[in-house]
Amino acid sequence: MGFDQNSAAERAKEDLSKRLGIDAGKIETASVSGKEFPDASLGAPVDDEMSAQMISSGWEITLKADGKNYQYRGDKYQLRLKDYNGSNHIVVS
Amino acid sequence: MNRNNIWIHVGLALIVVVFAGVLGQIDRWRNALRSTSDRTQTVKPMTTTRSLQAGEPEVLVKFRAGVSLSQKAAIAARNNDRIEDRIELVRGLVAIDDLDDADPQTVADHYASMTDLVEYAEPNFAIEVDLPEFREVQPTDRDDLPDNAPNDPYFSDQWALFNEGQNGGKAAADISARKAWAKSQGSGDVVVAVLDTGVDYTHPDLVSNIWIRPENVPQYFDAELGTFNDRYGFNAVDNAADPMDQNGHGTHCAGVIGAEGNNGEGIAGINWNVQIMPLKFLGRGGFGTTKNAIEAINYAVDRKKKGVNVRVISASWGSTQYSKALENAIKAAGEEGIIFIAAAGNASTDNDRRPHYPSNYDLPNVISVGALDNNDILATFSNFGAKTVHVAAPGKDIVSTWLNSGYREASGTSMATPHVAGVAALILANEPDISVADLRKRLVGSTDILDILNGKIFSGGRINAAKALGE
Repeated sequence: MGFDQNSAAERAKEDLSKRLGIDAGKIETASVSGKEFPDASLGAPVDDEMSAQMISSGWEITLKADGKNYQYRGDKYQLRLKDYNGSNHIVVS
Repeated sequence: MNRNNIWIHVGLALIVVVFAGVLGQIDRWRNALRSTSDRTQTVKPMTTTRSLQAGEPEVLVKFRAGVSLSQKAAIAARNNDRIEDRIELVRGLVAIDDLDDADPQTVADHYASMTDLVEYAEPNFAIEVDLPEFREVQPTDRDDLPDNAPNDPYFSDQWALFNEGQNGGKAAADISARKAWAKSQGSGDVVVAVLDTGVDYTHPDLVSNIWIRPENVPQYFDAELGTFNDRYGFNAVDNAADPMDQNGHGTHCAGVIGAEGNNGEGIAGINWNVQIMPLKFLGRGGFGTTKNAIEAINYAVDRKKKGVNVRVISASWGSTQYSKALENAIKAAGEEGIIFIAAAGNASTDNDRRPHYPSNYDLPNVISVGALDNNDILATFSNFGAKTVHVAAPGKDIVSTWLNSGYREASGTSMATPHVAGVAALILANEPDISVADLRKRLVGSTDILDILNGKIFSGGRINAAKALGE
């Protein structure tokens, strides 16, 4: 597996569509931007996870649905949903 | 076919062969250039904006389940478009190139209107990306270096070892490696476990300093996992013997500790001679579980009990989650004479208030490490803690070994940690019987005090290898 920005954004949209139970066509890609994160978990660690403490490049993907923003973070190896219902989630790794 | 046709065909065949040969040569040149780049350049992120180029797909269309590829191709053809690519990660998603070069939003709207076939369609938007800005690592100009500097070509870029103000740094903001090397350049009797993403044990600058299980040490046996022919270490991610690094992070840390020095290749490690034991518990993405970290620590402790001189574990990882089991595993390592050097974390936060683990475990064998830049200033990302972060070490823009026999610059308390682990190994080379308690006391008590670290770092200073060796 290897993500790029586009496939990460599309995969995020597919994930959010399933989580919210809405058609993906109703989800807007508000922004996708390159960003440096504090560690290999892209600053979105899940329970029972340890990560390399190296500044890591990736993408921050903001999706918008029903007036709310949802933040995904990805790099070539992974995609995470940050702070959804109070916790972070690994979508793909 | 008449004679004239034959010559036409022969001529065309020759043209095709020559053209293929030229293309092949261009590809070989390109590969050679790429290979050279991997080995000699380091990466710094740079934000830029990507705009769509001619020929790139204009729209991304997600067809509904049940629409076959041939149907999609037929729909595209009807619109004078073509399917440029299928995006396997998202079922039904294709990238479409509009051969009329119409406005991408118009094309996307057209596809989106086919609601019985298409779930959604959108322009292939331009995205801000972090493209690598390649900064050439300058080979050392020997005339600019002192006589006792190693001959490794990138040594002049290793400001952490020898800072004479290069690249905007501050002279002497380093760990005084050259002075230390006058006393010790390490020892092949000292084993440092790099508990990380594994290590590329074939890297030309590491291969001589990789631990190999001696014949008199039995294969690793775990009651649940079985027996492993652990030639180079252990892989807790896959429960396998092979700890090959697929990420690069562990290889980078290993190079700081023990890239072979004065070998005319790449960089110099803090230890020119040492044994690096690769332990893999972080996967290719650089993250892993507490359970696998414990499995890998158990391996190191087992090897110690079987006679392998593991005295240091370098741990450039962590989280804010406390684990009693992990704490106990690290404590057990300490009881076997192993010091545990841990990254303080990169959240720019105070570990006294918001603990980061394993660096915050209050154990007699744990040292927590913050990161400095080349001006002796705490890196903006580095965690700190007057009570809980014990020492600071260089951790920004650190050049070290990477995958594919390469070298790369990286930043983080991840990079500061192996500097301390490396100095610990240097001390052990000189004083093999030093206790963990005394080793810890020496490392924390021999720093160069920096006013700027007062109230931020327990020792108030940056590690100094020469002082740690009693200079």
